[in-house]
Amino acid sequence: MRRRKILEGAVEATLFAAALLSVVTVVFITAFLFQRGSPLFEKVPVLEFLFSSRWEPTAENPGYGILSFILGSFLVTGLALLIAVPAGLAVGIYLAELSDGRSARFIRSAVELLAGIPSVVYGLFGIAVISAVSRTLFGGSGYGALSAAMILAIMTLPTIISVTEVSLRAIPRELKEGSLALGATHWQTITRVLVPAARSGILAGVILGMGRAIGETMAVLMVGGNAPIMPSGLNGMVRTLTMNIITDMSYATGDHLTSLFATGMVLFAFILVLNLVVQLALKKSISDLEGKSGE
Amino acid sequence: MKRIVIATLALVAAAGAYAQYSGSYTFGGSTTVAPIAYAAIERFQKENPGLKISYEAVGSGGGLKALLAGQISLSGSSADFSADQLKGAVATPIALDGLSVIVNKKGTGIKNISMEDLARIYHGDVTNWKQLGGANAPIVVVNRDESSGTYAAFWELVCQKPFGKAIAYTKNAIVTKENGEVAVKVLATPGAIGYVGMAFAQEVIKAGGLELSIDKVMPTTANVVAKKYPISRYLYIVTKSQPVEGTVEKAFIDYILSPMGQAIVKSADYIPLPKK
Repeated sequence: MRRRKILEGAVEATLFAAALLSVVTVVFITAFLFQRGSPLFEKVPVLEFLFSSRWEPTAENPGYGILSFILGSFLVTGLALLIAVPAGLAVGIYLAELSDGRSARFIRSAVELLAGIPSVVYGLFGIAVISAVSRTLFGGSGYGALSAAMILAIMTLPTIISVTEVSLRAIPRELKEGSLALGATHWQTITRVLVPAARSGILAGVILGMGRAIGETMAVLMVGGNAPIMPSGLNGMVRTLTMNIITDMSYATGDHLTSLFATGMVLFAFILVLNLVVQLALKKSISDLEGKSGE
Repeated sequence: MKRIVIATLALVAAAGAYAQYSGSYTFGGSTTVAPIAYAAIERFQKENPGLKISYEAVGSGGGLKALLAGQISLSGSSADFSADQLKGAVATPIALDGLSVIVNKKGTGIKNISMEDLARIYHGDVTNWKQLGGANAPIVVVNRDESSGTYAAFWELVCQKPFGKAIAYTKNAIVTKENGEVAVKVLATPGAIGYVGMAFAQEVIKAGGLELSIDKVMPTTANVVAKKYPISRYLYIVTKSQPVEGTVEKAFIDYILSPMGQAIVKSADYIPLPKK
């Protein structure tokens, strides 16, 4: 009996240590990033770093302005969501409500496969197919914001689809049954009852996808054009925060290197905000459901 | 007799190669030579455990200045210094650096380009192939990233004359990280132009790209060696006097000129010296 208690205690301690490890890792990464990045602001004012678009780190009079990369990240991510959200919602609703078992299984495994494709493969696909498609449809060189957004849209689809489906399925049965019993059609039930009830969960999925899109590097690097300029339109070339870090990392030294860590800090801040929003949305979605089923 | 002489020479050479050097040395100079120097120093130190060499990449001019002032004992250079500038120092060629200009066959319509037009493309003054007598299609400029040595070399060799020393490439260019990426982007994009290390251009041609001649001269090793092909230059190691047998500097130069050293040259994307 005692032995069992000791064993249980040991297992508990091990698991706790493992859990602690991830916390410690996050703390270390954050501390390291800020320790390496913040010295930049002794030389370059924060406002200039964030709101200047002059990025010439190796010039005689170096410029460290990342505004065009911040806007590039937002532009590409925004466009990607514009494509991915309607498509993802549609597929999620289809899977949760309209499909029969067989087609759902088939689509679900295809979506899972989509989620498992390495981003560099998406990039290759982008160079071979998407940049050509974008060049034919929208002109330009084919390397730009639109191509990057198309790739990111495909990459964020799995997240949005599965979270939408799960959120819809999590809605208490009574809600759907009640709506149908009141004489609403299936479609009315979906648009007026189910989707609104699942909105917080769906929102969380969209924001999770957004997090993936804003942090994605390899695929956008291969089709974005990577010119360090203000994005000049949908088919204009774009460089995002992640692309900026990876492009200069291999050679950068001194302040230039520090500025890349500072770019990382900005990216980190964006992701942090997105994560907080996701958690709030999920909390709300849970309390919504509890509130509704309790009524 | 001849055989004995050769055998003796070989022995002396072998003894030289196996002599152990020690102490601390500071070399410096060209950033273009730096990748060769770093790799060679690393291997050279492994063979001579008591030896510590550092290479400060301060540029060819800075390196020569430090050498003449006696601050360093060996400098790397990508500039072809005149005797006046060398002030008695000796420059030994160690490698060639040549760049090929490649284009996509579609949407360009030219096979030759003048240095001037090439500079104007990369400065952003010419944006349509029609202006150069080619197809009526926009020029898609593919450039390297700011910190690449090739990026600086291309400016120096092509654009510096008309547009001055400070790098001012057009910003409206696709930025790529490697020779390979330049090749992929040029091959996939109609109207695209890019530049790669000469050794790499063969891969591009095999994959269906086109290598331009510059002022009607094709980028071949022979043309580079004959100094006919303009986008090329020798890389040198400069010593204050004729390198003396038995010094670390001499041994280091010999190492870079050896097959092992020339292999380093090749893996750093430069052209090994032609075999005599």
